[in-house]
Amino acid sequence: MKTEERLNEEYTGTEEQPSKRGILSRRSFCIGLGGTAVLIGFGGFKFITVDPIIRPPGGQNEGKVIASCIHCEKCYEICPRNIIAPGHIEDGVLNIRTPTFNFKYDYCDWCEKENDGVPLCATICPTDALYLPAGAGIFSAALGKAELNPDWCLAYKMMGCASCYRACPYEAMELDEYGRPYVLEDVCIGCGACQAACISLSSGSISEGANERAIIVRALDDKGQIIYKHGYRGR
Amino acid sequence: MKVVNIRTIVVLILIAVITIGYITNYSIGTFSAVGWREFALLCPLGAFETMLASKTFVGKALVSLIATVVLFALCGRAFCSWICPIPLVSRLPDFIKKRLMANKTTTHAVVSERAALADKAGADEQVVKPKVTESIGNSLVKAKCSSGSSHCSACHEKRGHLDSRHIVLGASLLSAFVFGFPVFCAICPLGLTIASILLVVQLFAIGEVTWTLLFAPLVLVIEVIFFRKWCQVFCPLSAITSLLSKATVTMKLRIDDKKCLETSQNRKCSACASVCPERINPRHPEKSYSLMCECTKCYECVQVCPTKALKIPFLPWKTGSFARVSDKHKEKKD
Repeated sequence: MKTEERLNEEYTGTEEQPSKRGILSRRSFCIGLGGTAVLIGFGGFKFITVDPIIRPPGGQNEGKVIASCIHCEKCYEICPRNIIAPGHIEDGVLNIRTPTFNFKYDYCDWCEKENDGVPLCATICPTDALYLPAGAGIFSAALGKAELNPDWCLAYKMMGCASCYRACPYEAMELDEYGRPYVLEDVCIGCGACQAACISLSSGSISEGANERAIIVRALDDKGQIIYKHGYRGR
Repeated sequence: MKVVNIRTIVVLILIAVITIGYITNYSIGTFSAVGWREFALLCPLGAFETMLASKTFVGKALVSLIATVVLFALCGRAFCSWICPIPLVSRLPDFIKKRLMANKTTTHAVVSERAALADKAGADEQVVKPKVTESIGNSLVKAKCSSGSSHCSACHEKRGHLDSRHIVLGASLLSAFVFGFPVFCAICPLGLTIASILLVVQLFAIGEVTWTLLFAPLVLVIEVIFFRKWCQVFCPLSAITSLLSKATVTMKLRIDDKKCLETSQNRKCSACASVCPERINPRHPEKSYSLMCECTKCYECVQVCPTKALKIPFLPWKTGSFARVSDKHKEKKD
């Protein structure tokens, strides 16, 4: 249909005297303004504040990630453990398709084996959205900190689970006198091993209202403080 | 094989390579930054937007940015028809419609009919051909503009040297600077196409269920299928490629006056003009809707030409009797 219309126009065009070509027609200008209005409207999402989400190494400056990420998805692909995933609309409109962690099956060790402790994601980011300053290492720049929710934790129901405690590669968890794990927040670097190991959502009696695992790595705010979701502050 | 099918296959292969790269962790990247690991051809729009948004100069982006701009400058708007999946997405409703209602006359049918008539006229050595084509043309005109063509402004208004795409391009850069994040990148249909595919992969690979799975395709559909002429009217990337191709000399459309029906046998043909998706008239560039810099090297005109009088060589020399098609219409022959 469309092509036929175009065909007609060509025919009328060739039969009559060609019209002059301007710099910018009024119609184009108006359409352009319409497009501009949409972009400005979408830019307004910037003013809706959302909690920071957990980012791969080098992405701890939230503003920098939002400003520099072009959603090229190279970091997801390069990640040898497949734990970098796109952010979703649930995390805020601006966070859609920006890198975040999915600690469902594995955790981040800053590519210890694969690249001698230099995270591949920060190395390949073409626009420096993930950017590690010189000298930043796994222990100097925490990705986040783990928060344990005793309401959902199996150990706190005296079921003897200590998966997260055993999984922690950096000795950031301890057991109390009843064998219940808790997080040492000064030591925790937010690697996500505990979250990957947590079985609270898949085994045992699932707690009422539980929609995520009992131990979750939370992002840090700009002052480096953990953003608690459940208000439980360890021991 | 129809050139449109070849283009479709090329784009589908590219999408398949990107998807396989995503699944197998080969870090090929997507259209925003395609390449092997650290070496990536960066989307020029995205690169400028992020530099403006973060107010920092990214040194490592510069090399890939220059490489991309050089490629765009060499190949003109070939990106738009051979690599970008958006024309494919916007053809999707037509494709489905064609499958449902298979008896519609397509342009190709009209053009091939016209080419057949041209051949017949050529065989008879009579100059009856113009009459025949004109009658086809007039009947089509009547079918569309019943009020006559003189008041129909859409038929006459030409695309200017700048158009709405350039305004959107300026707005993309400005909004990135003002709001501090690449606004256009967030709704770029090119990115959303790949995102939609990869989200489906994620859904089946790790069972990730999210509202983005609906949001990304929805925005894509609104942009590309709702506004049918996204590429010609809104796309700022298309504005960049057309600006870059204004200055280039490689991959320019050339026409051989000795072969062209109009110049060699003084017959009316216009087959090339009727298939051009950018509404360029290669025979009479001064009558085109678009300037020559909008040519996307789609090869539709080269394919449809009944006497093979058109070609798009990569190098500007060694073109024989083929003269360059220019907007200024001065150089009849090089």
